[in-house]
Amino acid sequence: MSLLLKNIFLPLASFTLEVDVEIRDRVTAIFGPSGSGKTSLLDLVAGLRCARSAFIKLGDRVLTDASRGVFVPARQRGIGYVPQDLALFPHLSVRQNLLYGHKSGGEANPLFTFERVIEVLEIQPLIQRGVTELSGGEKQRVALARALLASPRLLLLDEPLASLDLKLKTRIIPYLTRIRDEFHLPMLYVTHDRFEALALADEMVVLVNGRIAQTGSVPEVFSRPASLSVADLLTVETVQPGRIVKAADGLVTVAAGSVTLTAVEQNLPADTGGVYVCIRAEDVILLTGGDRPSSARNHLPAVVQSVTCEGPLRRVELDCGFTLTALLTKQACEELNLKSGNEVVALVKAPHIHLIPH
Amino acid sequence: MTPAEWQIVAFTAGMAVLSTALILVPGVALAWCLARLRWRGKSLVETVVALPLVLPPVVTGLVLLKLFGRRGPLGHWLYSEFHLDIVFTWRAVALALAVMSFPLLVRTARAAIEEVNPALEQMARTLGAGEWRVFFTITLPLARRGLLAGTLLAFARALGEFGATIMVAGNIPGVTTTLSTDIYQLVQLGGDSHAWTLAGVSLALAFAALWTSEWLMRGRKH
Repeated sequence: MSLLLKNIFLPLASFTLEVDVEIRDRVTAIFGPSGSGKTSLLDLVAGLRCARSAFIKLGDRVLTDASRGVFVPARQRGIGYVPQDLALFPHLSVRQNLLYGHKSGGEANPLFTFERVIEVLEIQPLIQRGVTELSGGEKQRVALARALLASPRLLLLDEPLASLDLKLKTRIIPYLTRIRDEFHLPMLYVTHDRFEALALADEMVVLVNGRIAQTGSVPEVFSRPASLSVADLLTVETVQPGRIVKAADGLVTVAAGSVTLTAVEQNLPADTGGVYVCIRAEDVILLTGGDRPSSARNHLPAVVQSVTCEGPLRRVELDCGFTLTALLTKQACEELNLKSGNEVVALVKAPHIHLIPH
Repeated sequence: MTPAEWQIVAFTAGMAVLSTALILVPGVALAWCLARLRWRGKSLVETVVALPLVLPPVVTGLVLLKLFGRRGPLGHWLYSEFHLDIVFTWRAVALALAVMSFPLLVRTARAAIEEVNPALEQMARTLGAGEWRVFFTITLPLARRGLLAGTLLAFARALGEFGATIMVAGNIPGVTTTLSTDIYQLVQLGGDSHAWTLAGVSLALAFAALWTSEWLMRGRKH
């Protein structure tokens, strides 16, 4: 099911949200810094806000067409929304919250039965409690379950993990992955956290100051940012799909492209196979004149593809079996006399290789 | 207390309950419109509704007298269509109390509704709830303490009303005499001890209503 957003024009406090995009994939991350118009975009899709100009179509149903005065109200859109503050009803119990929008019978999607949603999100033990007695992670799961029980055709998640610490985040992400995989529900996932985007999303829409800076598959956007502002935002230059082949002695061996890399064990779920290997450009060290022993676990013979100027720094694109980006000072670049075609060895310490399960 | 005094207390309390009941639904509805909708003429309506708070009650009473008198536009219509007399009957008492306490109800109710997080109402809509369901399952229960406090405040105001009542309903013993009008008359005629008894009753009733209202408002913060 595709979501078409056309001619969106919504003036906000310090900029105008102007979007024209078709979202096809199951999970799409809307990625951008705080205050870039991400939440306003979700509000438009959910029907909680009107824009002077907007055309929004989900599947073959037109939800908003400002030019023809079409505006399907939020309650008829069948779009689940989990806002940043969750908006659990404080005067109702967990059960009453869950059942508030629960559809059963004809109009319900048979996938979203009460029993199944409760089971997938492990809510059974919470059901008799009051909403105010729940912890942050529990509230999150109840809000997700409540949205699912209304049998939505699309799920909007507004920074669902932003208020949680890293430890809780890693505990909630598997639930979101389960929703994605078991309910086959398309999702728009607003975030400014690359970890979440990599862990959950297939596609990415990068939003900066109300405009789309880039769209594409997640690894594509991360490895080939379309502009400097996108690259700055993502703060990571190399993202390469890989596969864990061995885990022993606190080290993990990962096959990526035609090479194997050594990373430090990172509390990945036990059944993790596919991962994204993430390496920040400033963590890559280059050696010329052949390989020599060093403390870095990863020595990757590489060929320089290009050197581009970024202020006092030089961005060096390398081919080491996959594309690896290194960020060096101008001085270092000159001393090593780096030019495209040079053979070098790229050193990356094991702790600098971040693995994100996918 | 004498049976006559009891009659006056019961009549006044009954009229205060009736007038509060009359304004409850329109008052909360107007409060909701003021809190949740943007519309043309909103500030004009706000001002008109608040007028009885600051206008001399006698003036409000005079306006009601002219409107609802048998030759007034509304009074004439009510008489010719339904044979209803308003002024100088118990209906005029209820009318005066309702008009005088309406602004207090609307203001308190509006504040209570504005305190309900609109995001919760929005959430209910995305879960498929229509406007009535949103109001009765989200807005109303979350604003209930404030709404109840406003209702009690309106009731307490109605109990003590004097100026508008005396203009539009007069002081007809056994027909339109309320606690305040009777106290006034008793003092005029030198019946101080009776006046004090009734004053004590007024004080007790008003104190109970206000106390409960304050307690409800404070509880809302938690």
